[in-house]
Amino acid sequence: MAATASSPAVPQAKAGVAPLRAGQGHSFLLRRLHSLTGIIPVGAFLFEHILVSNATAISGPAAYAHQVRFLASLPLVPVLELFGVWLPILFHAIVGFYIWYRGDANLVAYPWAGNWMYTLQRWTGGIAFVYILWHTYTMRFTGIDLHEHPGASFGKVQNEVVAPLLLAFYAVGLIAASWHFAYGIWLFCAKWGITPGEKAQKRLLVACLGFFLVLSGVGLASLTSFRSHPQQPTDPAGARIVEMGPGATE
Amino acid sequence: MADKKVLFKIKRQASPSAEPVWEEFELNWHPGMNVISSLMEIAANPQTKDGKTTAPVTYDSNCLEEVCGSCAMLINGRARMACSALIDKLEQPIRIEPLSKFPVVRDLAVDRSVLFENLKAVKAWVPVDGTYDLGSGPRQSMQNQEMTYPLSRCISCCCCMEVCPQFNEDTGFVGAAAISQVRLFNAHPTGAALKQDRLAALMGDGGIQECGYAQNCVEICPKDIPLTQSISQVAGDVMKQAITDLFRK
Ligand code: HEM
Ligand code: SF4
Ligand code: SF4
Ligand code: FES
Repeated sequence: MAATASSPAVPQAKAGVAPLRAGQGHSFLLRRLHSLTGIIPVGAFLFEHILVSNATAISGPAAYAHQVRFLASLPLVPVLELFGVWLPILFHAIVGFYIWYRGDANLVAYPWAGNWMYTLQRWTGGIAFVYILWHTYTMRFTGIDLHEHPGASFGKVQNEVVAPLLLAFYAVGLIAASWHFAYGIWLFCAKWGITPGEKAQKRLLVACLGFFLVLSGVGLASLTSFRSHPQQPTDPAGARIVEMGPGATE
Repeated sequence: MADKKVLFKIKRQASPSAEPVWEEFELNWHPGMNVISSLMEIAANPQTKDGKTTAPVTYDSNCLEEVCGSCAMLINGRARMACSALIDKLEQPIRIEPLSKFPVVRDLAVDRSVLFENLKAVKAWVPVDGTYDLGSGPRQSMQNQEMTYPLSRCISCCCCMEVCPQFNEDTGFVGAAAISQVRLFNAHPTGAALKQDRLAALMGDGGIQECGYAQNCVEICPKDIPLTQSISQVAGDVMKQAITDLFRK
């Protein structure tokens, strides 16, 4: 039968992708907050955590203890932790998993560089999340309280990374978080219209790759310094000796 | 050379609600064949490889020179224009499927009206309709023409939306083409009158925020439109508009 003007209308099947809901909803705000929290405060915290605080481990247990004591001496530490670090990470992570769930990765059909980065941004975020949960639980909420006994910090981390599998887990978590943040800066600048141009995007990409190498390099160097030093004490008395610095005796 | 063959596997669907089925077709090779010319040959003699008579394959096409945008389909798993898909450059058997993110009307013909709806939602036009002659428009600088001409080449094929990981039924994302048209019409001296409306529309659900910057759109676009540049540029304008609204509205 030939199709004519009088033939019945096309039956309804799958509706397809809905058109733009102009002027409706709050997803714009949600997504921009997600993007922003990735840089500030979560990214800023990661920067401080790897490049400032943990880097002191390279100079040995005493320097590390002093940095931890300084952090613990900041005013309103629980408030800073809750609103400056934990809640923003939790927000970014929950919205991040939601964004991940709603996207349809298609690397197999379209294995292009940008698409790889898109998929990698999700997996590195997921790995970082598992790592952060473990790391916060073991370092902050179990064992000796480092805010009370900063001198025990070096030894506590040493105990943590003594098992090769845990060391590997730390290295993977560190590299994943570094990549996620470094490429995240590039994404942020592209998505907020800071670097729309092709050349600007290329230059920033090189800078972000460099930043990734610095972040993960310094992080790995800190990690190895925990392995290269002799085991430090993790009891309150020993912690006091570490805090007093090398050569000091009680 | 006379017996050189070309093998096709085509995904068929008799109606929007029917189950899809695959059929194989074999044609004699000849120089310069492309996918549309092959579909025409199949229509002229609609027989499957095993000699079974079947209905001719339904597909959209018009210009046959990659300017009308109607013949987009999945060829060997990738979205592209069938009229410019040369058989000699394709791996065989050549798998042909309808675009996967648009409702199938029949066989390879899909309903891409979502792009039209999105272009309407972002007011992708120059507002000159009225009851009297508005006279000639303002002159455009050469620089502006050079920036906008590539954007104006969009053929509404929807390839950029098909390959976008964020364009799906969960997000209802507007897609790269409409965003790039916002950049085009905002850059037009008369079209700029609707700039705020367009930017406000892109803040709605399914708006520019859904882009995850996977950059597939710019890779696939048959007209080489700088889509990711447009998205970044327009996203900046949307952000400025959002902040301005916060203080002025
Ligand atoms: C180490 C802590 C983290 C930092 C420093 C961080 C930082 C960032 C930054 C700067 C961006 C770029 C902003 C953007 O694309 O809009 C980003 C994006 C993203 N993050 Fe994170 N993030 C962290 C943890 C996580 C976690 C735990 C997840 C959970 C899966 C996650 C999921 C995502 C996703 C899905 C995106 C891409 C968003 C999009 O494509 O629109 N991130 N992150
Ligand atoms: S950049 Fe990626 S996510 Fe954004 S529109 Fe293009 S394909 Fe989609
Ligand atoms: S932007 Fe390119 S891929 Fe998208 S509809 Fe227009 S021509 Fe097609
Ligand atoms: S038939 Fe017009 S683009 Fe292919």
